[in-house]
Amino acid sequence: MFHDVNLENPIGSVEGIYVAKPKKVENAGVVTSILLYMLENKKVDGVVTARKVKGILGKILLIKTRDELLNTVGNCWSVVPYTMKLKDMLTSSNLNKIAFVGLPCQAQFLRHMKTFPLVESDFANKIYVIISLFCMGTFITDGFVKLIREYKISPEDVKNIDIDKDYLVIIHSDGEIKVPVDIVLNHIQHGCLLCPDYTGVFADISAGRAITKKGTLLITRSKLGDNIIKKASEEGYIEVESASEDEITKLKEKALEKLKRAMDYTAKLL
Amino acid sequence: MPSILVLDLGGCEGCIASIMNSYPKLEKKYDLYISYLGNLNLDREFDFAIVSGPVSLVSSEKIDLLKKVRENSKILVAYGSCASVGGIFLYSKGQNCRFASIGKVVDIDYSIPGCPPASRTIINFLNCIEKKGGRFLELFKALTKYQKLSGFDLIDDVVLTGLCVGCGACTLSCPTEALQLVDGVPDLIVEKCIRCGTCIVRCPKFTQNILR
Repeated sequence: MFHDVNLENPIGSVEGIYVAKPKKVENAGVVTSILLYMLENKKVDGVVTARKVKGILGKILLIKTRDELLNTVGNCWSVVPYTMKLKDMLTSSNLNKIAFVGLPCQAQFLRHMKTFPLVESDFANKIYVIISLFCMGTFITDGFVKLIREYKISPEDVKNIDIDKDYLVIIHSDGEIKVPVDIVLNHIQHGCLLCPDYTGVFADISAGRAITKKGTLLITRSKLGDNIIKKASEEGYIEVESASEDEITKLKEKALEKLKRAMDYTAKLL
Repeated sequence: MPSILVLDLGGCEGCIASIMNSYPKLEKKYDLYISYLGNLNLDREFDFAIVSGPVSLVSSEKIDLLKKVRENSKILVAYGSCASVGGIFLYSKGQNCRFASIGKVVDIDYSIPGCPPASRTIINFLNCIEKKGGRFLELFKALTKYQKLSGFDLIDDVVLTGLCVGCGACTLSCPTEALQLVDGVPDLIVEKCIRCGTCIVRCPKFTQNILR
């Protein structure tokens, strides 16, 4: 079984679980607020994160200032690859401490790179903190575009995508549509169906939506991650409280769902 | 103190140089036996043997040496791409040039590819062993089943099977820029691949699959 995720503990090793709300900046989420805390207090020199370019497509950016950061809010619902361009940017710049925000799979390889740099050309020494977003899988772009076209929406018009119980809510320029999750699941990438990791067990901080109340659920997995959350809260960037038992149980159920899906799917393939 | 033998079977010795970089840290916790220190002694037992370089399949001398190291060591680690997954030596031509990863000749306990692994790798690896676990130790154990891994395997086993999600791990890891993303999936420039295996070992889909 995969090292940190198993049926008894589908959310991996945990330092603390919190529910947080943004405080200092309007219209920014919790993750953005944490990143802002780190940038403004010189904990990191730069942040690597995805920004929505158009519709459901995104692009990876290296961000160095507050203004640049505040333009990257929102989700983009596709895997945005870390490309060669990023490597060039990181190795040529004089940035030395970088916060990475990505998906569980990206957190996994960055952690691998940080702990076991397999080649000297790795920029592993620049990785300061890894933040992972909860992930149920990413879409095959073409298939998903076809799906939303069936609802007579152009992918360029998609403003945001949200999940509301069993429906995927697609907010577009003229309103919103609700697509049953069962239909959407057909358009999830093959590789994602084999992935057992919902929360991002290799990250320092994992973040995703809280289930029982409004707010963002944060899981810290290292002393480093925990300190960042505590300091960001002390400095007034976010408001933090410990997650309730109920919240944690629901989180585990959700993580278990992805793990079981991965196990079923693997069993079918092999 | 636990003893470590570091031996190069005939590679470029880049792996040994990378281990020597960590020598100041290693010597505090381990007795090191390594040609650079002039104390290489193969007639004793070791807690760890870290072997780099490929084994020549036409040299009975090297094969015997490797078997002797296996007998004399509790934990045998194939260190670096040549020893663990064959590396660039698999390309060598000529009847007297038959090289393989050392797993073809002896049983190995851990397999750590990298060309060469950065010096921090050996320290983190030994720390994981000391703690009897830790992230990725299982992966290095699982990799012992493979005697070759490269960009070619990444394309065959991950991309062509449709498992690739386009995260970019491989392109960012490749030391020779042999991989680039075309339409969101990696494409291999075959002439550039040195078969170091870094791309596939970093691939989340490959590792999730073999650790099941």
